[in-house]
Amino acid sequence: MTELLPMLTTGATLAQIGDVFMHEVTLFHYLFVSAAMFALGVIGFLSRRNIIIMFLCTEMMFQGAGLAMIAFGRYHMNLTGDVFVIFILTIAAAESALALALVVLLYRRRETLDASAWAELRG
Amino acid sequence: MLLLLVVIPIVAALLIAFASPALARRIAGASSLLFFALTVACAFVFDWSDGAAFQMPFRLPLGLGDDGAAGVALEFGVDGVAMLLIMLTGLLAPLCVFGSFSSITDRVRTYYAWLLALQAPMVAVFLARDLITFYVAFEFTLVPMYVLISLFGSTNRKHAATKFFLFTFTGSLMTLAGLLYVVWFNATQLPLSGLGAGEWSFNIGVLMEAARQMSATEQAWVLLAMMCGFAVKTPLFPVHTWLPLAHTEAPTAGSVVLAGVLLKLGTYGLYRFVIPFVPVAVAEYAPLIAIISIIGIVYAGLICWVQRDVKKLVAYSSVSHLGFCVLGLFALNSVGSVGSVMYMINHGLSTGALFFCVGMMYERYHTRSLEEVGGLAKKMPVWAFFTVFFTLASVGLPGLNGFVSEIMCLLGAFQSGATWGVGGTPGPLGPWFAAVAATGMIIAAIYLLYMVGRIVFGPLREPEGHEHHGPLPVDLNRREILVLAPLAALCLFLGLYPRPALKALEAPVAHALAGVHEHRATMTANTAGALVLVETPPLGAREEATP
Amino acid sequence: MLEAISPMLTLAAADAGAQEGLRASLLVLVFPLLASIACGLCAVFGVKSKLPAWITVGALAASFVVTLMIWGQAGHNTFIAHGYEWITLAWGDGPGQQLVANLSLYIDSLTLLWMLFVTGLATLIALYASEYMSHDVGPGYCRFFAYFSLFVFSMACLVMGDNLLLLYLGWEGVGLCSYLLIGYFYTKPSAVAAAKKAFIVNRIGDLGLALGIFSVFVTFGTVEFAPLFEMLREGVDGAGAPLAGSWQATWIPVFFMIGAFGKSAQFPLYVWLPDAMEGPTPVSALIHAATMVTAGVYLIARMMPLYLLDGTHFALALVAWGGGITALLAATIGMAQFDIKRIMAYSTVSQLGFMFAGLGVLTSAGAAFHVFTHAFFKATLFLCCGAVMHGFAGQLDLRKLSGVGFMKGWGIVGIAMFIGCLNLAGFPFTAGYFSKDMILAQTFATPGYAMLGWVLLLTAGITAYYTFRVFFRVFVGPKLYEPGDEHHGDDNHSHDHDHAHEDFHPHPPGWAINSVLALLAVLSIAAAATYFINKPDHGWVGSMVHNSTADVTSPHEGTFLGMDPHKAMYYVSAIVGFIGIAIAFMLHYVGRRTSEKANADKLLPAVGPVATWAQGKWYIDELYDAVIRQPLLVLSHVFHIVDKLLVDGLVNLFGRLPTMTARALRPSQNGVLQSYAAGMAAGLVFVLLVVWALL
Repeated sequence: MTELLPMLTTGATLAQIGDVFMHEVTLFHYLFVSAAMFALGVIGFLSRRNIIIMFLCTEMMFQGAGLAMIAFGRYHMNLTGDVFVIFILTIAAAESALALALVVLLYRRRETLDASAWAELRG
Repeated sequence: MLLLLVVIPIVAALLIAFASPALARRIAGASSLLFFALTVACAFVFDWSDGAAFQMPFRLPLGLGDDGAAGVALEFGVDGVAMLLIMLTGLLAPLCVFGSFSSITDRVRTYYAWLLALQAPMVAVFLARDLITFYVAFEFTLVPMYVLISLFGSTNRKHAATKFFLFTFTGSLMTLAGLLYVVWFNATQLPLSGLGAGEWSFNIGVLMEAARQMSATEQAWVLLAMMCGFAVKTPLFPVHTWLPLAHTEAPTAGSVVLAGVLLKLGTYGLYRFVIPFVPVAVAEYAPLIAIISIIGIVYAGLICWVQRDVKKLVAYSSVSHLGFCVLGLFALNSVGSVGSVMYMINHGLSTGALFFCVGMMYERYHTRSLEEVGGLAKKMPVWAFFTVFFTLASVGLPGLNGFVSEIMCLLGAFQSGATWGVGGTPGPLGPWFAAVAATGMIIAAIYLLYMVGRIVFGPLREPEGHEHHGPLPVDLNRREILVLAPLAALCLFLGLYPRPALKALEAPVAHALAGVHEHRATMTANTAGALVLVETPPLGAREEATP
Repeated sequence: MLEAISPMLTLAAADAGAQEGLRASLLVLVFPLLASIACGLCAVFGVKSKLPAWITVGALAASFVVTLMIWGQAGHNTFIAHGYEWITLAWGDGPGQQLVANLSLYIDSLTLLWMLFVTGLATLIALYASEYMSHDVGPGYCRFFAYFSLFVFSMACLVMGDNLLLLYLGWEGVGLCSYLLIGYFYTKPSAVAAAKKAFIVNRIGDLGLALGIFSVFVTFGTVEFAPLFEMLREGVDGAGAPLAGSWQATWIPVFFMIGAFGKSAQFPLYVWLPDAMEGPTPVSALIHAATMVTAGVYLIARMMPLYLLDGTHFALALVAWGGGITALLAATIGMAQFDIKRIMAYSTVSQLGFMFAGLGVLTSAGAAFHVFTHAFFKATLFLCCGAVMHGFAGQLDLRKLSGVGFMKGWGIVGIAMFIGCLNLAGFPFTAGYFSKDMILAQTFATPGYAMLGWVLLLTAGITAYYTFRVFFRVFVGPKLYEPGDEHHGDDNHSHDHDHAHEDFHPHPPGWAINSVLALLAVLSIAAAATYFINKPDHGWVGSMVHNSTADVTSPHEGTFLGMDPHKAMYYVSAIVGFIGIAIAFMLHYVGRRTSEKANADKLLPAVGPVATWAQGKWYIDELYDAVIRQPLLVLSHVFHIVDKLLVDGLVNLFGRLPTMTARALRPSQNGVLQSYAAGMAAGLVFVLLVVWALL
């Protein structure tokens, strides 16, 4: 992983980068997956209108972040990352309960799950 | 003693806030009289023969610094100029209170509390010997005035109050920036050249010495920053537009204080900070400032002529008049500067009184329009007498106060830089400045006599349904006469016997101009040296001899 | 009281220079000032009697007596009577580093000459006014006499002040009193407008005077007369450098001239004086004929050494020609007016022009003598007009009055008017004849001014004509009249003036008016006698002038058609005067049956529109209005609009900047969840890019 950054800046060929990936499962692989999850979450959040889907996307971003933390915990050989993730999971559970309740409430108000139906804060 | 001057109005304001309305009036009257008595007492304690020294010092360190020698402090002291202006403030306070008895019937406590609270910062500005004390007081005058205008003004009062506040506040922030630069310079830059103790001093005297060490460029920037605030407050020509609005909307006493004292904070700032702090820049840019003042004199004067609202007319006349004041100040010689300080006082008396007169008319007719009222001399001879009297004082009729200061400002501008004869002084202006500014005397006669010709003389014209005088009689009652009479007496006294005031101002003004003279002396020495080098005849003997 | 004063008038032996002493002369100022205050107090306490008049008459008489005593004591010496320090400021010890203007008096024979006729005439006219103003007894009466006394005080400051600033105080003080008195009938819009005009036009002159004072201070380092004249005698400035040929020597006199032309109503600043006739007639007589308007002549006479500094006499030439042009212009206007008071006003302007011409051609004695004689006969003329106005309810139109002098009780008025007219017309052996001759002769005697002499000679003829035009139409001829519609000062115009004519009886003047008129008539004849006192010195007035700073050496090079102008003028001006009177007699007396029509009307077609133009005062008022007042007014409006829209607009623009910025940014807050998220994402990308760039 550590050799990747200089490779990116100096402009290595795709094969060279692939070599790094193929060599072994390193921290970089975990982080790559976590970044991918986060990016997918962001894209999903921005592109979808359905509130539930958007909510799921935020969960995905959450988990991306969690994965990165666990990877770092492992990398540094301590438990800080794991503890964080446990906290995040707990809070995410509570939060999703709350969020779903809100979604139900909102759906009852407007009979739709489209996020753009709520723009009360328009300036 | 000086601290009492600040404390009394504040205590009175607090008392009024918690008193019953009837009692509030009495407390206001008594405390303002006490305030006035105290200013008179100060004037007696003050040693007039040593007017340049800052007397009756008071210092209360506030934090910073181990022994409190440096750092922010509540610090007071008065010289001759400040003393005269404090007396003006003290005189106007009771007059404003007594002058408002019949016009303010609603929210009496709020009104008198804020009116009294206004006196404290005003007087503190003149007293301050510490930069932060000065600035805090300078800005705090805005708050009571804002309340007075926005709660007790006429129809457009909210707009006027906001504009007044924001305009002057923006200006004075720049001033603060300029002054803080001087503080920073004193603390960090001066020690580099082996001067100064490198302390974060806020003492105005210390800073004055420090500021003079700044380079010409720095001085020019500091001058610009300071002018931003003081020119708005004065107000000078392009930044005057808040004044007519604020005056028109303010209650009578508010206008009186505004014209009488608040505008003087600007000219006082010019006198106390600009001229002594940055003499090099002042000497360089004085012609520019003088031109701005002259434009103001003529421009505002002509605008007066087409006003339909008496109060607006008098307000614009203030702009025109203060142009003379600034012109005299930037003549940078004794005659001009003494004339200018006298102008501050005289303008406070005569224009303040004119606002009272207009207010008394307004209370009876509920209009200030020149179209609707006229020929009131027939109905209100006593009022007419006072109005004409103060108008004449304002026109600058010899024998009344306005003349002495106006002629001195003009003479100062005229002789400043004159190299012929013996009566000239070195300086940046010259006869042309005086000649153009003097047309302001003609314009003043035009618009003020126009005003008097409309409202005082001519056939009687009254608005419809004017019979609702309320409790007031047709002509002035005894209370109103007592408000105007002291002002009239002072106008006459200062016109016929200005000698004591002039004498008192000689020393402090010379002190304020010392920096300019010093700069000029070095310049002359350098120029003379240079001239000798290139073998051209040296300058006139008189100029070289100037210390 | 006078016994108490006289010991104070003791003085030291006469010397050439100014010496201190004669402090009692301050009483000349004090009496009128006290009278003014007393009259003001009368107004406060609501006095409803003639008390203010008697206070004023008493005080002015006391001033006159004190002046006489000073004259007796001072003779031809110069004194400075110290009052108190007025304006004093020092910024150094060297010359020109102190501004000193004390309330002190400079007394020399020029001062005394002026003060004698000012206080003397003021006393008489106050007495006249006590009756003239009697319909106004009450607050108006108090007001009138308070202003009247204040005027005399200011005039005394002007004439007696020992420095230019005190002179300026008096100068503007008399202007103020003039303003207040012209506007005495303050409910009349025309009176208010005239008062305003007088003050403002005077202010233009005052500007010149102020600049003159400033220049004098800078040049000489002082505004006090005593040191100033000391330097002027040497012809040097305060530093001892000779002044001849310097710009100051040329231009300072011009500044003073502008001041003098404003106060003394000379072209182009004369327009206020005719309008000033809106004031009560005693005011017109005292202020606008006899005393105040001669202040300009006094100023130039007083500053004569300054005028002589310049070898080319540039300023003096301007003064002479300014005076000459004014004299002719005003006389032509006077010929065509119908209001007798206005005719007198124009004749005053014209006569003042003579005086300035006299100063310009270097006969200050002649100018001062003409001031002196003019004061008496013009006061007489005005007071006669006033008596007519008083008796005929404000009627002043010469087409509506005739034969007044022969009506019962109007004899004294008729005779006084006749004497006044003879003087003004320059009838031989009257005072006006001698004084005018001195000026006329000198214009020919001084080389280069012969042209001016012919102009003035023509003017003298015109003067004789229009003076007697008034006399022949109003005071002699068939007894006819038509009353005016005014009950002066009484603002109640409303009450039935339809019936006024039937019920109207002209009321002839009472004892106060008659005695004053008689005395003035005698004095205007007696003034001629002073010409024969000290004859080689051009009479008593001449000797007074020669002993003051106004002394000049009149040249004798010029001739009048080869003759000695001083001798020839006795005959020439007499003939010119006769011709003028004869024409008036032919045109306005012979064959006149009604008050409206006279032979002159037959000539009207011959002169075409000129008569109308002259009657319209050559439309100079309209010209000033169009060229000066209107453009200034337009400029004011423009400034007002600029101030509102541009200057204040800019300020408001700055005030709106925050709002406008907010408004521009507002669409970004659209309330849509995703757009906020997009914003966040963009922010994230931005941060990442920055980090990227930094690494």
